[in-house]
Amino acid sequence: MFSFKPDRSQYPAPGPDGKLQIDLETGKYLKLWQGPNHPGITGNMSVELTVCGDEVVEGKTHVGYLHRGFEKLMERRTFIQVFPIVCRVCVPEPDFNEYCYAAAVEDLAGIEAPEYAQWMRTLILEMGRFNSYMMFLGGIGGALGLGITGQWMTYVRDLMLDRFEELTGARIYHMFILPGGVRGHLPEGFEGRMEEVLDTAERYLADIDRVMFSNSVFKTRTKGVGVIDPALFEPYGVTGPNARAGGVAKDLRKDSPYLVYDQLDFEVATATDSDIFARATVRRADVQTSIDLIRQILKKMPKTGPAMAKIPNVLHWKIPRGETYIKGECSRGEYGYYLVTDGTGYPRRINVRGPSYTHAMALLEHLIPGTNISDVAALMVSLHTYPPEIER
Amino acid sequence: MSETNKAKLTGKATVREIFETATEFEKVAHRFYTELIPNVSKDIRWLVEELAEEELEHVELFTNLSKNPEVDAIMAAEIARPVADGKFSDCVHTPDLGPNPDDQAVLQYALMRESAAMDQYTELAQSTPAGPLKDAFVFLANEETKHKAELEKIYYETVHSGGV
Amino acid sequence: MGLREVLTPFTVWKHVFDDPVTIKQPIGRPAAERYRGFHQNDLDTCIGCGTCEAICQNGAIDMVAVAGYDPEKGNSGLKPQIDYGRCCWCALCVDVCMTGSLTMSNEYTWVDTDPDAFRFVPGLEEPWKDDEEGYEREGKRVLSGIERIHMEEMEPEARIGNFDEIVAGYSRAEAILEADRCVECGLCVATCPAHMSIPDYIAAVRDQDYDRGLQLLYETNPFSEVCGRVCTHKCEGSCAALHEGDPIAIRWLKRHIIDEVPFDRRIELIGQPAEPTGRKVAIIGAGPAGLTAAFDLARAGHGVVVYEALAHAGGMMRYGIPEYRLPYDALDRDIGVIEAMGVEIRTNCRVGRDVTMDELRRDHDAVVLTIGLHMGRSTRVPGTEGAGVEKAVDLLRRITDGEKVPLAEQIVVIGGGNVAMDIARSMARLQKAEFGKVGITLTALEDIDHFLADPEEVVESREEGVKIFDARGPQEVMRDAEGKVTGLRTWRVKSIFDAEGRFAPAYDQSDERVHAGSMVIEAIGQAADTSLLGAALTEALEWNRGRIKIDTAFRTSEPWLFAAGDAVKGPDVISAVADGHRVARTVMEKLAAREVAQ
Repeated sequence: MFSFKPDRSQYPAPGPDGKLQIDLETGKYLKLWQGPNHPGITGNMSVELTVCGDEVVEGKTHVGYLHRGFEKLMERRTFIQVFPIVCRVCVPEPDFNEYCYAAAVEDLAGIEAPEYAQWMRTLILEMGRFNSYMMFLGGIGGALGLGITGQWMTYVRDLMLDRFEELTGARIYHMFILPGGVRGHLPEGFEGRMEEVLDTAERYLADIDRVMFSNSVFKTRTKGVGVIDPALFEPYGVTGPNARAGGVAKDLRKDSPYLVYDQLDFEVATATDSDIFARATVRRADVQTSIDLIRQILKKMPKTGPAMAKIPNVLHWKIPRGETYIKGECSRGEYGYYLVTDGTGYPRRINVRGPSYTHAMALLEHLIPGTNISDVAALMVSLHTYPPEIER
Repeated sequence: MSETNKAKLTGKATVREIFETATEFEKVAHRFYTELIPNVSKDIRWLVEELAEEELEHVELFTNLSKNPEVDAIMAAEIARPVADGKFSDCVHTPDLGPNPDDQAVLQYALMRESAAMDQYTELAQSTPAGPLKDAFVFLANEETKHKAELEKIYYETVHSGGV
Repeated sequence: MGLREVLTPFTVWKHVFDDPVTIKQPIGRPAAERYRGFHQNDLDTCIGCGTCEAICQNGAIDMVAVAGYDPEKGNSGLKPQIDYGRCCWCALCVDVCMTGSLTMSNEYTWVDTDPDAFRFVPGLEEPWKDDEEGYEREGKRVLSGIERIHMEEMEPEARIGNFDEIVAGYSRAEAILEADRCVECGLCVATCPAHMSIPDYIAAVRDQDYDRGLQLLYETNPFSEVCGRVCTHKCEGSCAALHEGDPIAIRWLKRHIIDEVPFDRRIELIGQPAEPTGRKVAIIGAGPAGLTAAFDLARAGHGVVVYEALAHAGGMMRYGIPEYRLPYDALDRDIGVIEAMGVEIRTNCRVGRDVTMDELRRDHDAVVLTIGLHMGRSTRVPGTEGAGVEKAVDLLRRITDGEKVPLAEQIVVIGGGNVAMDIARSMARLQKAEFGKVGITLTALEDIDHFLADPEEVVESREEGVKIFDARGPQEVMRDAEGKVTGLRTWRVKSIFDAEGRFAPAYDQSDERVHAGSMVIEAIGQAADTSLLGAALTEALEWNRGRIKIDTAFRTSEPWLFAAGDAVKGPDVISAVADGHRVARTVMEKLAAREVAQ
C-alpha cells in the first residue's frame, strides 16, 4: 500500500569497483547530512546521504564526534583506575564494560569472583539489557513518528534506573562490578520493588504490542524494509538480535555460557524475515526474556555470601604478562574486551569489541542505498547501535 | 617534767612553740640544702638548688610574720598540738646523706621532709585562730602539698624511667 | 492487513486518564540510601594519609592543610579537597580510605553561580556533612590487605629452654604479600626517629630488588640487622593500615631485606668511604649512637676511633637485649660493615681508667660522648640492700658475658618495661635449664594497658610462664631472720599518671600483697654513669636536670665535646641511630668550618 519501490534503472550503472558513478554537477543528486544532531540518529554520528528525489543512492557513515580515546587512556591508568572509566565506553548499557573488564582482569590475575558476585553480575547485566531495549523500543517508534513509545519506555527505563540507583548507588554509570567481585549486596526489600517495576514494564509492553506491533502503519513501514541478507552476517560480523532476526539462533549466553547463565532457563528468540520488523520483534521477545531472567535470578541467587574475592592491594596491582579475550552477549550482540598485560601495573593494551562498530558503519553503508530518505532513521535504529561504543 | 613534755602530754602547745619549731624547720632545711649544693655532683645540683630556693621563701615568710604585731599578740595562746608534730620536729635534725649523695637520695630525703611539713601545716591551718598566722599556715599547707606532688613526679621520672 | 490493525493502536488512549508520571520537582528529590553523592569526611578520624588522592584517576583530590588540624603521630593533618569539576563519583576514594572516614552523602543537587564553590574540603561546613544516608562501603576495606602475614615463631615450649632466636623471618613469598599491603602514605617516615625511607624499601621488597632495598636502608640506618629485629617500631604505631586491620610489619620487612643481602654484597653496595681527610674523631661508647656517628664520619673520610669499656662492641644492643631477640652474629654483621668503613673500635678500653678525657681531647679534633644508660636504678625500698636483690642491667650484662649469674627457683622482677621483660624471660630460660621449670613473678607500677614494654613482649613473657601482676607498687623486700629474701611486699596502685600524663602514683594501702620469691630483680630504670668525665669536666660542663646539656645539634657547652644517645636523649636504638646521624653532621660541620678558618 505504502511501500517504496526504488527504480534503479534511472541511475548510472555501478563502476568496476561496484560503486556508483555520481556526478553532483548534473543537478540530479543532492548531498544530505543526517546528523550529527538529528532526532533520527542513534547518538552522535552522522550519515552523509546522496539522494536522488527521495531515494537514497549512497550513504556514508561518519563517526568521531564522540571520540574520547578511552582505549589509550586506559593504558595510562592502573588496573583499578580503569574501573571507573570503562562504563563510559557505552552510555546506554554500561554494565557490559564493567563485567568484561573485570572478568578479563580476573582471568589474567588468576582471581575468581565469589558465587554471590557472579549472580549479582548476571542480575546487573540483565537489568542493563532491559534498559537498553527500553531505549530501542522507544527509539524505533520515534524514528517512525510514533512518539508515545519513547515516552513510555523512558518512564519504564527510569523505574529500572531507580532500582539501579538503590542497588549500585548510581543511575547511569553504576560502577558496581569491580575486578574481584561486586561492591555490595542487594538492599533489603529489593526483590519486591523490582517485581513492581517488572509488572509495570509488562503492562507498558502490552501497550507497546498494541500501539506498535499491531499497528498497520508500523508494520507497513518496517516489513520488508532494511532486509539484511543472512549471507552478509558472517562477512559483516553481524551478531546478536540483528542476526537472530535472520534466523541465526546464536546467543553467547547459550553458546558459551558465562557467569551463571548455565543455571538459568531461557529460550533464544529468533525471527526469519531479517527486516526492521523482525529485528524489532526479536528484541521485544528479548525484553520478556530479560524480565523472566531477572525474576529467576532474584529467586535463585544466594541471599548471602562474600561479594568480593581477596584481591591484591589495588594501589600497586601488577598483573603478569598475558592476554585474554572476554566476551558476552549484550543487547546488541557480541561485546568483548581484549586485554593485554605485560607484568606492569598498567594494561599494555585494551581493545573493546563493540557490536555497534560493525553494525553502524559497514553494515549500514551497505544497507542504505535504495532506501527512502524517510526510512533511513528506522533502518539505523533497527540496527540498535550506540556511537559511544563505536568510538572508544 | 619539762613544760614542753607536759604540753605534749596534754596535747596542747602555745602558738609560740609551734611558731618557733616551724621557723626552725624551714631555716634548718634551707641551711641544709644550701650546704649540700657544693657537696653534690654538678649533674644533680639543679635539684638541690631548687629545693634550697623554695625553703628560703618559707624562711622569709616566717621572718615577716614574727614582725607582725597581730601574730605577736597571740603567741601565748594555746592550740592543739598537731599529730604530725613529732615527725615534723624530728626534721629539725638533718640527716647525713654521705659525702656525695646521688639524686635519688636527695629526693627521698626531700620527699620525707615535704610529707611531714604538709601534714603539720595542714593541721595547724585548721586549729589556728583566724588571722595572719592562720593565713600563713593555710598558704604553707598548700605550698607543701604542691611541692610534695611535684617532687614525687620528679622522683618517678628520675628513678622509674620505665625500664627502657 | 485488516481493520483490526488500524484500530488496535487506539486502545491505548485509555492512558489519557492516567496521572502524569513525571516528577514535578526534581530538585530536592531524595536519592537512594546508598547513592553516591557529594562526599562526607569525618575530619576527626581522617588521618590525611592521602590514599584517596592516590587512587583518584581524575586527579580530583588534593590533600590540603586545614586550620585546626595539625600534624601529629600517624596523622599528616592534611585533608582531602575535592574538585567536583573532575570527580566522576566512582567512590574508589571511599572504598580505599584507610580509616573509613571518607564516605558520601546522597545529596546530588546543588546550584551555585560560583564555580569555585564546587571545590572544597568535605567535612567542614557543607549542609550534608552529618547526613546519615549516602554511600558507605560494605564492611571493611577490600582494596588493600587487612591482615598481616603471619611471622613464623618458635612455640613457647620450644624456646623456653634456650636462647635461640624466636622469630624466623619472612620467606620471599611472605614478604611480598606483606609488602603488598602498604599504601605508601609515608606517615611512618615522619614517625621514625631516623626517618627511614620505609615505603620505598617496602616497594623494593615488592619489586624483589634487594640491592636497592639495602641501599635505602643504609641511607638512614647502619643497624638494620638490629632494628629489623628489636626496633620499638613506632612506625607501625602510625601506620595507616592499623585503623581497620594490622599495621604493616615494617620491622620484619626491614629484616627481610637485610636477610636477603649477603654480608660481602652489603659492603660492595655501600661502596668505599671518601678520601681520608686527616681529621680524627674519638667516640666514647660503641653503642648504636656512637657507631652510627662513627659510620657517618668514616664514610666522609674522617679517622674514627671508638672507645668501648666492655669486651665487645654493641653497647646495650649486645649487653641489654637478650640473644633470643637479637643474636650476636646479627649484631656482629652490622658492626662488621661499620668496621669495614675504616672505623677502629678499641674494646676493653675504659675512658677514665685506660685513657683519660684529656688525652682524647688532645689527640682528636672532636670527641663524641655516647655512653648510654648502663647504671641500674634501685627502688631503695627497705630490704633492697644486701644479697638476693639484683639489678636487671647488671644481670643481663653478665649473661651476655657468659658468667654464671645468681639464680633462684622463684624470682620477683620489679618493672614493666622491656628491660623487665628481657630479664624475666632470660631468667626464665636459666631456671628452665637449671630447675626444669619457670618461676617468675613480675610486678609493675603501671596497669597492663599502660605497660611501657612492647605488647608482644608481654604476650610472649606470659607464654613462657612469667606471672605478671600489674599496678603493684613495691614497698619492701621481705627478708627472714637470717636476712634471706623471702618476697616482695606491694600495694595496689590506684592511679599512676596525673592529668598531664606525668608519674604520680597513688596507692591503696589496704590492698597489700606479698609476692614470694628468694630473689628480687629491679628493672625500674637506668642512669648514665658519667664518672668518666672526672670532677673538673663535670664541673665545667653545663647540665640540664641531671643530663649533660646539649643543644639541638648535640653540642655540649664544651666546644670540643659532643654528646648523643640514651645518655642525653633516649630511649631506644632507633632514636640513638637518629642521634648518631645528627651528631656526626654537627661534628662534620665543625670540622669543615675549621678547614675554612685555616
